[in-house]
Amino acid sequence: MALADAASAPTENSTQTATPTQRQRVIIIGSGPIRIGQGIEFDYASVHCTRTIRDMGYEAIVINNNPETVSTDFDISDRLYFEPLTVEDCLNIIDREQPIGVVVQFGGQTAINLAKPLMQAGVNLLGTPYNSIDLAEDRDRFDGLLIELGIPKPAGRAITTGEAAVEVAREIGYPVLVRPSYVLGGRAMEIVFSEEDLRSYMETAVEVSSDRPVLVDKYITGKEAEVDVISDGVDCLLPGIMEHIERAGVHSGDSMAVYPPQSLSQNVIRQIEEYAIRIARALKIKGLMNIQYVIENDQAYIIEVNPRASRTVPYLSKITGIPMVQVATQLMMGKTLKELGYETGLYPDADQVAVKAPVFSFQKLTMVDTGLGPEMKSTGEIMGVDNQFPRALYKAMVASGYDIPLPGQRDAKGEAVGHGALLTTLADYNKEEGAPIVKGFAELGYKIYATEGTAATLRKHGVEAEVVRKIREEAPNLMTLLTGPEVDFLINTPERERTPERDGLKIRRAAVEHGVPCLTSLDTAAALLTALRYQKAQRVVGVRAVGEYHLPEHNKH
Amino acid sequence: MVIGSGPIVIGQAAEFDYAGTQACQALREEGVSVVLVNSNPATIMTDVETADAVYIEPLTVSFVEQVIAKERPDGLLPSLGGQTGLNMAYRLAEAGILDKYNVELLGTPLESIKKAEDRDLFKETMKRLNQPVPESAIVVSMEEAKAFRDQIGYPLIIRPAYTLGGTGGGIAYNDKQLEQFVRSGLDRSLIHQILLERYLNGWKEVEYEVMRDGNDTCITICNMENFDPMGVHTGDSIVVAPSQTLSDKEYQMLRSASLEIIRGLGIEGGCNVQLALDPKSPQYYVIEVNPRVSRSSALASKATGYPIARVSAKIAIGFHLDEIPNAVTQKTLACFEPALDYCVVKIPRWPFDKFTTSDRRVTTQMKATGEVMSIDRSFESALMKALRSLEIGVYGLRSKGVGLLTEMEIEEKLRVPTDERIFIIAEAFRRGMMIEEVHDLTKVDCWFLQKIWHLIEMEQQLRNKPLDEFTPDLMRKAKKLGFNDHHLGELIGVKEPEIRARRKAMGIAPVYKMVDTCAGEFEAQTPYYYSCYETESE
Repeated sequence: MALADAASAPTENSTQTATPTQRQRVIIIGSGPIRIGQGIEFDYASVHCTRTIRDMGYEAIVINNNPETVSTDFDISDRLYFEPLTVEDCLNIIDREQPIGVVVQFGGQTAINLAKPLMQAGVNLLGTPYNSIDLAEDRDRFDGLLIELGIPKPAGRAITTGEAAVEVAREIGYPVLVRPSYVLGGRAMEIVFSEEDLRSYMETAVEVSSDRPVLVDKYITGKEAEVDVISDGVDCLLPGIMEHIERAGVHSGDSMAVYPPQSLSQNVIRQIEEYAIRIARALKIKGLMNIQYVIENDQAYIIEVNPRASRTVPYLSKITGIPMVQVATQLMMGKTLKELGYETGLYPDADQVAVKAPVFSFQKLTMVDTGLGPEMKSTGEIMGVDNQFPRALYKAMVASGYDIPLPGQRDAKGEAVGHGALLTTLADYNKEEGAPIVKGFAELGYKIYATEGTAATLRKHGVEAEVVRKIREEAPNLMTLLTGPEVDFLINTPERERTPERDGLKIRRAAVEHGVPCLTSLDTAAALLTALRYQKAQRVVGVRAVGEYHLPEHNKH
Repeated sequence: MVIGSGPIVIGQAAEFDYAGTQACQALREEGVSVVLVNSNPATIMTDVETADAVYIEPLTVSFVEQVIAKERPDGLLPSLGGQTGLNMAYRLAEAGILDKYNVELLGTPLESIKKAEDRDLFKETMKRLNQPVPESAIVVSMEEAKAFRDQIGYPLIIRPAYTLGGTGGGIAYNDKQLEQFVRSGLDRSLIHQILLERYLNGWKEVEYEVMRDGNDTCITICNMENFDPMGVHTGDSIVVAPSQTLSDKEYQMLRSASLEIIRGLGIEGGCNVQLALDPKSPQYYVIEVNPRVSRSSALASKATGYPIARVSAKIAIGFHLDEIPNAVTQKTLACFEPALDYCVVKIPRWPFDKFTTSDRRVTTQMKATGEVMSIDRSFESALMKALRSLEIGVYGLRSKGVGLLTEMEIEEKLRVPTDERIFIIAEAFRRGMMIEEVHDLTKVDCWFLQKIWHLIEMEQQLRNKPLDEFTPDLMRKAKKLGFNDHHLGELIGVKEPEIRARRKAMGIAPVYKMVDTCAGEFEAQTPYYYSCYETESE
């Protein structure tokens, strides 16, 4: 037989047509290879979108090139094109298939980046109009919109020269968050604390020109929260708010996050909801949108809007029971939230608590600093679910690799698990803040090892730590403890100068290479403390099937 | 019960969601009720529609035991959750939990898994099967490692037992490297064992995906050849399917070896066999056997249209290959070996755009976070497609910065593989290096180099050619080799839409071919396609 041409497309006359059909076609753009910042979440969303489109009676056609995924499995779509996700390759397929429209909302940044060239080539984009996508991603236009809508954002603006950056920073005050406007996903994003470092950043870290502006914003050290919005352009459903455990400055993909929020005031929750609805309506969002906020003094500020499905969609879908992608896809295809039985506003909290935690692959990547910051470093995520926050937190810690034994803990055979000790070395600027957390661990019975300066601060807080020599001093020193290993984990916070602090980096790498869990944010350390305290008080944490999340609570323990 | 692979980490990406989801469907079709445990909710397998009971819980013995206690499954299928799932099954069995709750292990027996995974047992088994393995020693201390070095010398390859994607291993050319890799390898290994092995410098690396059922029927799904010779982790290698540089004799020899191995190990389901082949003699070694679905099996499934995970799951519950229909083609049975009339290229996606300070060398320790696959009629065009699928700002064989390298840097970078090697090879040809020179430095097979050389030759021919001098013939030639409009635009300084308009005016557009698993032998229903620039009449 001759090769089976995909003459199944309507424009061809061929005997090898795979069930010719009069059904209208929709093309779904996939998310390409798994990379840091664009993980499996987007494949999850693409699959659900494709299934929904088929369920609605359309022919669903997927374009993707990742052989690892479910979206490229043979029975997910009506037709799969194993092709590169470039404008040309997509347009060729579009020419062939003549779809009624193309979906770019679920394939992460890969798909959304195709919105502009596809629109320019005359392709119909389903869902949120291109102008709104551009409005959300163009900093100047977006700032204008927020002012118009009366929604606050951190002070700052886009600049095109190094001198202008310094001027803006003087005007708004340090620290500032700097990033190139033309790269998304936190690349080359930094928090800068001094003019000297800002000049160095502008000279070495970014290209700046009138075509390539750099954003200089006030860095607000508050809590972060994010929300996904499903909208039909009029009504807006907010399945839930996720509150980040680490404060602003750690990339949202590297932060632990909890649903429902545990420490946001009703006032802030109301702001988050109101702002999200206002923006969704102004942008005529049809489908999904994600908004990130930072909170300071009971006021929420917008830091980022993504006019597409986000990383948190599968997490919130599972915990709230709202099939977010299915709903968003139906809205994109013309249904309304009312028709689907949803109302505008924040959906009532589920009675389960979910904690999402990042997972890193630092062991495989030599010479990469494990310290968390505005650039994303994690490769995956997990979720811990239970009926109380500390339990969910404990599960998230264990599942993400921080299965820290309590002092004196024994296994089934009666053998000691762990060393009952931790090592800490804190940056000067947060020694005071870190001391009470370390004290908490001491109270749980951990022996504390600390470098001299950190030990001195701890002493002021009534914690006796055993002083260990710095890595450049003679052995036995800090490295001896890590390589032993004689400690269960390490709390090490990086200094905030731009110049790499060699000792800190070396310590963190040594921890990775010897399998010692390393916490680089005090917020993560505090969360671990909460989880371990709970464990100490009440060791049993049970399991629950996803289907049971939404059943009336019965106490299992 | 099915155990997932947990979070995405380097060495375990989305392939286990794909395999797990497919297997759950396959089991439920037969009326089996499926309990699924995974800590990663961003997966289709953890949807309530995929399994009968889904647990998003940490993958530790104590949590999984609780799920077992609650759900009381009859069986556990451990081969779908990657190394994580396998290690968990192993631990549950060791801790007596499977016995306690009377849970039967399905599919490949644990004993067989051990024979494939434990180096000592593996070596012994291979010896029994008369299959050659490279000289090696299993060591548990630095002293033993040094003793082995004294016996056979450098270079040595270090692989820890029971890890993810070869974590903690490497190739040592000197004492310093040996000490470093031995130490990290011992640390990483779950059972504190590492394998020291002679490094087969310049040997070809070939993989076979094979299947076996309880009737001892065995088939080959496909074979794959690494573009990069031995020494680069398969997950970090450019891979082609089917193999391109093997003679029929070599192909048959390695195929027979793979089938003998799957039989000898008593594996029931899919299995991946990695072999090293001497380019100068018919000598080969068996390098590794993965008795489970893997990244390679996902690639092989997509490359051939043969659903390995699905068929493995059916075999695990007692079906035989000649009883299982191929759900992709709907025409053939699972005992039918796929045939390919196209070329598949996989290229890893590395995270070095994010981690600019990271060591970019690619070795036996995997660093890629993901991968892309492309299908076309020739290696050249499939390679070009895969390159532009990476989303790293390249549309062909030129990456930013290679033009600035000195000749010496080029030579060095040819010798020591990094993520950029393919671009460096191309640049070497641009600068007039000969295929033999590049082969001496890289050990990449001349067949592959010849193809790249051909692409660069075309690139030179196209460069700076005015658009109106493009004849339809030249345009068709360029498209057939995989030059996309954007790339052509870069080469001649014209914007992509102009090229597109010109090309369309010439009536040059791709046709789409079907992946039908049987090279057109039967009429298949496989609903997936790839583009190529051929004429419809072919």
